[in-house]
Amino acid sequence: MSARADSLKGWGFAAPALLWTTAFFVVPFVVMAAMSLATLDGRTLIWGLHADNYLELAEERYLWRAVLVSLEITATVTVVSVVLAYPLAWIIAFRVPARWQRLALLLAILPFWTSYVVRSYAWLLVLAREGVVNQTLMTLGIVAEPVTLANTRIATVTGFVHFFVMLLTLTIYANLVQLSPNYRRAAMDLGANAFQTFRHVILPLTLPGIATGAFLTFVLCIGDYITPQILGGNTELTVPQVIMVQLGRRADFPLASALAIVLMALVTLAYLACARWLRIDRL
Amino acid sequence: MRVLPWLYLAAGFLFIYLPVGVLVLFSFQEGTLPVPPFEGPSLRWYAEVLGDDDLTAALLNSVVVAAGQGAVAVTLGFLAAYGLARHVVPGTVFLRALLIAPLTVSYLIVGLGLLIVVQRAGLGLSLWTAGIGHVVINLPICFAIIYASMGAQQQNAERAARDLGAGEFDVIRLVTVPMLAPAILAAYFLSVTLSWDEFIIAFLLTRFEVTLPVEIWSMLRSGLSPRLNAIGSVVFLVSVTAVVLAEVLIFRRRR
Amino acid sequence: MKTAIARLLGTTMLGLAAGAAAAQEELNALVWCDHTDPKLIEPFEEEHGVTVNLREYEGTGAALALLEQSRPGDWDVLVIDGIDVFRAVEAGILAPLPEDELPEADFFPEVVMKENNSADGVTYAVTEKFGYNTISYNAEAVDPADMQDLSTVWSDKYEGRITIYDYYLPVMGLAALASGIDTADITADDLETIGGVMSDMRANAASVAGVVAAQTALATGEVDIVVGGGEWLTAVLQEEQPELTWTIPDEGAVRWSQSIGVLADSEKPDLALEFVKYIVSPEGQARLATSSCFWGMPANMKAGEHLTDAQKEVLRWDAQETYLANTQLYPAPDTDLDIEMQDLWLETLQQ
Repeated sequence: MSARADSLKGWGFAAPALLWTTAFFVVPFVVMAAMSLATLDGRTLIWGLHADNYLELAEERYLWRAVLVSLEITATVTVVSVVLAYPLAWIIAFRVPARWQRLALLLAILPFWTSYVVRSYAWLLVLAREGVVNQTLMTLGIVAEPVTLANTRIATVTGFVHFFVMLLTLTIYANLVQLSPNYRRAAMDLGANAFQTFRHVILPLTLPGIATGAFLTFVLCIGDYITPQILGGNTELTVPQVIMVQLGRRADFPLASALAIVLMALVTLAYLACARWLRIDRL
Repeated sequence: MRVLPWLYLAAGFLFIYLPVGVLVLFSFQEGTLPVPPFEGPSLRWYAEVLGDDDLTAALLNSVVVAAGQGAVAVTLGFLAAYGLARHVVPGTVFLRALLIAPLTVSYLIVGLGLLIVVQRAGLGLSLWTAGIGHVVINLPICFAIIYASMGAQQQNAERAARDLGAGEFDVIRLVTVPMLAPAILAAYFLSVTLSWDEFIIAFLLTRFEVTLPVEIWSMLRSGLSPRLNAIGSVVFLVSVTAVVLAEVLIFRRRR
Repeated sequence: MKTAIARLLGTTMLGLAAGAAAAQEELNALVWCDHTDPKLIEPFEEEHGVTVNLREYEGTGAALALLEQSRPGDWDVLVIDGIDVFRAVEAGILAPLPEDELPEADFFPEVVMKENNSADGVTYAVTEKFGYNTISYNAEAVDPADMQDLSTVWSDKYEGRITIYDYYLPVMGLAALASGIDTADITADDLETIGGVMSDMRANAASVAGVVAAQTALATGEVDIVVGGGEWLTAVLQEEQPELTWTIPDEGAVRWSQSIGVLADSEKPDLALEFVKYIVSPEGQARLATSSCFWGMPANMKAGEHLTDAQKEVLRWDAQETYLANTQLYPAPDTDLDIEMQDLWLETLQQ
């Protein structure tokens, strides 16, 4: 078979997927980008090259605040989730006996399969003034008065962290078990203590796993509408919430598109930041 | 020091199961409010949820959309992975990047883009449009999983089959697909799960007939009730059964 | 594997085909969530042998945009905020209604609102339900006397005990009333004053919440006061927690109303009109008033014959005369002012 015929065949097989992605992802994306440069006159859409939406984004406080709020929440969530999930994955990988590992891992990610909308709502009940957390704190005498947890940023972050700890435990675990035990043994033989072994051997080797998980966390977290909407109490708005307000109340598609483009840009920046370690096709 | 890891593990599991536990517990609440004190147990909310036509219709819609879009995503993903892994195509790196790209974009953006196009084109929203959106987000995952598992081992078997005179489609049907079955099943399973629980795309792209997460969302917006706990618990039970079955039937066999 | 996929695809097709085949005559309605209660819709579906498809929407602006972009025949019935009917009429999307077929003579006279529901003497919509955006509170946790004075309600005394209902028009209306501005007279010049009041309100509020979040917050003791609340918020909670109640303060409160109309592009205008007539009939009105999503007063007084005493008690049927006299419709800004108000609102949220 000639190289040409071979390559044509390859194209043929890939064509349906490529066409699908082009028609339903690339084209909509381009249209959305064009939409972000359009403007509204009343309810009439005017196409063209207008910077109105981006200028509004820079000028209107609630819009650029939303970008900051989104970034702050996402950064907090990513860091906290990695820090909490790493030891969990570690313990499952190295402390739990091999025959129980799969079960432990499955148990650790089982609540993934609660409905995503319901999960946030459940956290609202947990964090409520009369909820389990406050009742426990008061019974233990840690606080005298119930603490306000629901409808705050703490609630949003908690809801997110819950989800991403499960996700990251999975990705980091997958990374840890792939490490040959020989690395650890070699480092120990060379006189490294447990911490040094971790710091200089294990951690660098698991960075790709962490980076992949962290990036995934970033993308999913910054684009999420449900969690802040249910748990955040609307005391501050994230970018997806503002996008949904523009769509749901005003049908301001140009401004919503501009916000989406900004969201996209943030994700791209995050991608570049951890691109060194990322193996996106190996997620 | 010895117990510290186990304490951490216990604390971790407590954190992970706290909302699920509260959700399930208050689904058995007798009263109309899913907050402490707990009164019950009662099954009244389960009876109500299972008797709710809108909810059961939405549940069925979700199953159909998830199964259908998964089939499309896995078929397209497999064909693309096969084409790019088994044939020398110029620009493979670019094509792979293009296929993976939707994975790096928020669902909200995928949904918004499609919504704009569908509206501008004057087409109607339906379960079909939601399904199309779900294929967009799941195709990259199916492609990546199947592409990553296309190793030299299968290639040798494929070559052997071809040498024995099998045509390309027979090779795919009789050698490649069976050998890649675990990856294909895993990809299918994952994309079904993701679609089953996806909210924002389904919310933006459906009209009258909606999927379960969208129906739950409108319930959530329209009244506080242990019904939400009950439907949440039912969904959890269904999903967990599926996960455990998948674990036992599909993934166990891999070893 | 292939056969499995084929089978799955087959099942999918079958499912979708079954959905299409079951299609009897359908009526498509763009509504508020109280219309999605099967108790309300099913009797109509059975009587006429039709299917009513319902879609909820959030803001009038979005609904109008959706309707303007849709194809003829996509939509038959629209439920819309009473104050926004004129916008729909201006956009040319509502069809005239035959006035003589509407039982408006049986309505509470204050809510017929001809000036809102008609233009140039032609009726385009009819009021179906109304109620109040006022103060809901927990009578065991706050002093009910304080609730009669708006400035005390959101004063420091109740710092962190308040949630604000997440809808800008009624809350800004209350802020206007508290500053002595009539809701009908709000102009861009008043926004600074209103913004100041809202800022105070926001500073003492624990959250800004949608219907359920506000109910949850109130029921769980997260907060004790909901600014912008009313019967529609607390009615569903009252059975179990009678201490959760509502009042209309001395400054007055804001009145909401919703209207229903037939779309000009409807291809089933007769069926659509039948639906409207059903909704404003005494039976339909009683079901709508006590819909599972939110309760509210029926526009048609004859609905009283189909409501129980307990239901009337919760709706405060007998106090309506006083309430109607003490309340103003919530603000009805034109497009420009509306955008300014929304921006001010979002600005206050992000404070």
